[in-house]
Amino acid sequence: MLDIDALTRLRDDFADSLGKVSTAADLQLLRDTVLGRKAGAITALYGTLGGLSTDRKREVGRALNELKAFVEAGLDARKTQLEAASAPMPSADLTLAPRPLPVGSRHPLNAMRERIERIFARMGYEILDGPETEDDWHNFEALNMPADHPARDTQDTLYLQQPFAQGTRATGDARSGVSLRPATLLRTHTSAMQIRYMERGAPPVRIIAPGRVYRRDNLDLTHTPMFQQVEALVVGEDVTMADLKGTLLGFAREFFDQRTPIMFKPSFFPYTEPSAEVFVGCQSCFGSGCSMCKRTGWIEIGGSGMVHPSVFEAVGIDPERYTGFAFGMGIERLALLAHRVDDIRAFYENDLRLLEQFAS
Amino acid sequence: MKILVSWLREYVEVPVGTDQLASDLMMRGFEVASIEPVPGRPDDAVIDFEITANRPDCLSVFGMAREVSVAYGTPLRMPDSAAPQDVAVGRVRPSPAPVLRVTVERADLCPVYCAAVMDVSIGPSPAWLAERLVLSGVRPINLIVDVTNYVLLELNQPLHAFDHATVGGAHLMVRTARDGEPLTTLDGQERTLSDDMLVIADQHRAQAVAGVMGGAETGITPTTSTIVIESACFEPAQVRRTRRRLGLSTEASYRFERGTDPSMPAVALRRAVALIADLGAGTARPGVIVVGDAARSARRVSLRWARIGRVLGMQVPADEVERILTALGFVLDGAESRHATSPVWEVTVPGWRGDVTREEDLIEEVARCAGYDRLPVTYPSMLAPPARVAPRLVRDARIRDLLVGAGFAECVTFTFIEQRAAAPFDPAPIAIANPLSELFAVLRPSVLPGLIDALSHNRRREQRDLRLFELGTRFTSAEGETRSLAVGWTGAAAAEHWSGSGRAVDVYDVIGLVQRVAAALHVRLDVEPTEHPALVSGRAGRVVRVDADGRRVPVGLVGDLAPTVAEARGLPTSDPIIVAEVDLDLAAPDYDPDRTVISQPLPRHPSVIRDLSIVVPADLPAARVRGTIHAAAPPTLVGVREFDRYQGTALPAGSVSLSLRLTFRATERTLTDGEVHAATDAIVAALVAEHGAALR
Repeated sequence: MLDIDALTRLRDDFADSLGKVSTAADLQLLRDTVLGRKAGAITALYGTLGGLSTDRKREVGRALNELKAFVEAGLDARKTQLEAASAPMPSADLTLAPRPLPVGSRHPLNAMRERIERIFARMGYEILDGPETEDDWHNFEALNMPADHPARDTQDTLYLQQPFAQGTRATGDARSGVSLRPATLLRTHTSAMQIRYMERGAPPVRIIAPGRVYRRDNLDLTHTPMFQQVEALVVGEDVTMADLKGTLLGFAREFFDQRTPIMFKPSFFPYTEPSAEVFVGCQSCFGSGCSMCKRTGWIEIGGSGMVHPSVFEAVGIDPERYTGFAFGMGIERLALLAHRVDDIRAFYENDLRLLEQFAS
Repeated sequence: MKILVSWLREYVEVPVGTDQLASDLMMRGFEVASIEPVPGRPDDAVIDFEITANRPDCLSVFGMAREVSVAYGTPLRMPDSAAPQDVAVGRVRPSPAPVLRVTVERADLCPVYCAAVMDVSIGPSPAWLAERLVLSGVRPINLIVDVTNYVLLELNQPLHAFDHATVGGAHLMVRTARDGEPLTTLDGQERTLSDDMLVIADQHRAQAVAGVMGGAETGITPTTSTIVIESACFEPAQVRRTRRRLGLSTEASYRFERGTDPSMPAVALRRAVALIADLGAGTARPGVIVVGDAARSARRVSLRWARIGRVLGMQVPADEVERILTALGFVLDGAESRHATSPVWEVTVPGWRGDVTREEDLIEEVARCAGYDRLPVTYPSMLAPPARVAPRLVRDARIRDLLVGAGFAECVTFTFIEQRAAAPFDPAPIAIANPLSELFAVLRPSVLPGLIDALSHNRRREQRDLRLFELGTRFTSAEGETRSLAVGWTGAAAAEHWSGSGRAVDVYDVIGLVQRVAAALHVRLDVEPTEHPALVSGRAGRVVRVDADGRRVPVGLVGDLAPTVAEARGLPTSDPIIVAEVDLDLAAPDYDPDRTVISQPLPRHPSVIRDLSIVVPADLPAARVRGTIHAAAPPTLVGVREFDRYQGTALPAGSVSLSLRLTFRATERTLTDGEVHAATDAIVAALVAEHGAALR
């Protein structure tokens, strides 16, 4: 009746119960159940020792003593634990300097570019990626700028010493054959990506082409030999210059302010006809004239126009059936205006004191 | 193009003030750079217009007058030329020998060449003429030269005057230069010509670069008594090529390369001869030479009224279209169809509008003159497939956000860098043929050089703790254009704190970052020891992509920046500078931004952890220890990680104590003590056998 197995079971039961005790009262209850002077399980077992043989009494007695010691140690340890848990934590001075998490920031130019991308993405535009080195065809010829075209002067070009294979990661689909011409220059505008896109497929087209472009301009307050552009292209069967105006007005209102007016001024670009420079109402003086808009009330944000039929012909699109518009904006210019930075070079110094202001 | 308003008023009535005039012309496509007052004449002004490359006709007072006449509907008056009776346009009329002979060998490059001979006396211009030149930005020289410049500004026809006495054999030849032929131009420069250049030569040698600049030898001097005035039309591309080759841009070349009116040379010559005569400075010899077909057939372009509406999205009434184009000098046929529902015109393009070659060009003229402000606001309606974003752009945006979240500041640096900054990364980078300066000579083979300069810039401005990154294109012969992430980290990994928990960055922080990027790219990246010119020897790592088949592809580098490289860029080396670069295109060639995660069941059985401390040679890479452990362990070993590394006097020299935590787990059952024991024994045995490890 009284044997070692029973003691083992008692031991397991006790350990199990002890683990579940979470208050001092429960602990006392468990102590009473096992060691209580009247009804304690172990106390009761001591009472049965008398009926055993001397050998058995010694053997079981020793086991019983071990069990009692185990139980008492367990109860005491648990008691200490419970007391510690309910003791108050030392107070902390929360006004001391914290351990700061490092602050990261997006570069204002890239952040600006992505903001513009998001606006057009919401309008259903596909966002393109393309190579920064280009061949003459994609950068000039297909854009109605044959060799010896005077407009090439306004985009003074940086050329590569040797033809350079950009690789299909940069140019996109290798099967189209589009990437077979090695690059000979640094692209002067992202329009080259639009040509690549149109070469790959038929309209409708609704894309924007963001990225770095290069011109042989010396560094000064407003020029850098590298800058970023976002260009857009829409081609369909009934795309008009009025649609261009609406799209740019929509963009300007989303980007600047819901009351921002826009103005088109006739201009010349070889790849568009008619062409227009795009102005928005000055965000600083709201049209009344200030130094930022040179007292005109208007700020130029980019160029635009209806896609020149020669461009369509270069990429095999029928200009009788399709019309389209295109526009382009310089990111640096928008960033200078928006952030009131007065020297474009500041964007390329990467001074942490400036960058930190753009924490995100 | 500087336009003196009082000069302009000679050809057209201007019913508005200067500011309004400038503004109205601006809205017609003539950007105004500045408006300058004229001292002493409050009603006058000089308006500086920026003339776009397609409108060379407006590089003249008369050309701008035409635009003014269209704008205000006021009549345009031709300048009074008082033309000599014997000038006949369109016919060759050789002058009596031996005054002058003209031969045009290359009619393709010089469609029209006119010349007149005058006996003159050289003196200064009258004040009114000199003043007009000065206000237009041209320096007066003497009356003869000034008149040629005056007519250039007035009619956009460059003229050139030769001293007749210096023209050998009284014979001018329009021919290509001989290769290596010398010519000293009017500016005193000795130039060497090549056989693709067009020159005006006398019997002996080249005397002028056609359409660009005259020669010094035949120039007008104070003692010149007889002159030859040249008025010609040269092929634009030819002039442009020559001008670029010689690096010599002039008022003449600027106009010729944009295209001049072939009917203008005869008119302008007549005008110049009349002016010189009227000013009492000379008399013309009889006979004016005209070589070529000045009245070559004019271009004709069809214009459909319906197409105007389709391109612009607004209707311009047919009679307004006719009025605009007629005022601009176009001749419209097809007026009888004006009352048809959709008229079609055959439009003859005037000689000065070489830019108008097709229907869209005419539509632009209509739109420009009708006013862009009349365009309605509509939106493109079009059925396009769902727009996507190029996958690399999505990837790049995610990686940028990751770095920003890790406390890094994004940089943008130039794509072209100095040759010596590129050298540690690529001894043969892609070179630019015509760089702005040595600072921008080659395309960057790595994004790191620019970032190192950014570290240097900030470190020299009292910024000690720097975490910078840039994600951009790099250019290599082997891989082409690829997009790469570069990071630079110096100073604190954990900022100084009163609790004493500050810590400087070391290479393991940056390797951790590389691993974090690997996780975002869904690839496995490992670091293996290497040597690299930009990294400290013995602390240089190559980042490799490990494919499922075990293939290891180099995709980047990580390590301590070599002090020589840092110092070369002015970057202080008092604190360690850790850099890394991971080429994202190489690291994740199959990146799919829309990857769908297929979930794995969660473990249902507990894991068992065993810690192991061994003593191994100090130069034994931990990766090899882990490799041995994995090879010796059953598949139930799911994790091995070093948690302590100790090197000290208690250990034999050249050895290190490495403590590893092993995690075992089986998916379908709880592991028994015995199994784990057996596995650990096998691992220890392998470590002893492979590396001579001793258990601590």
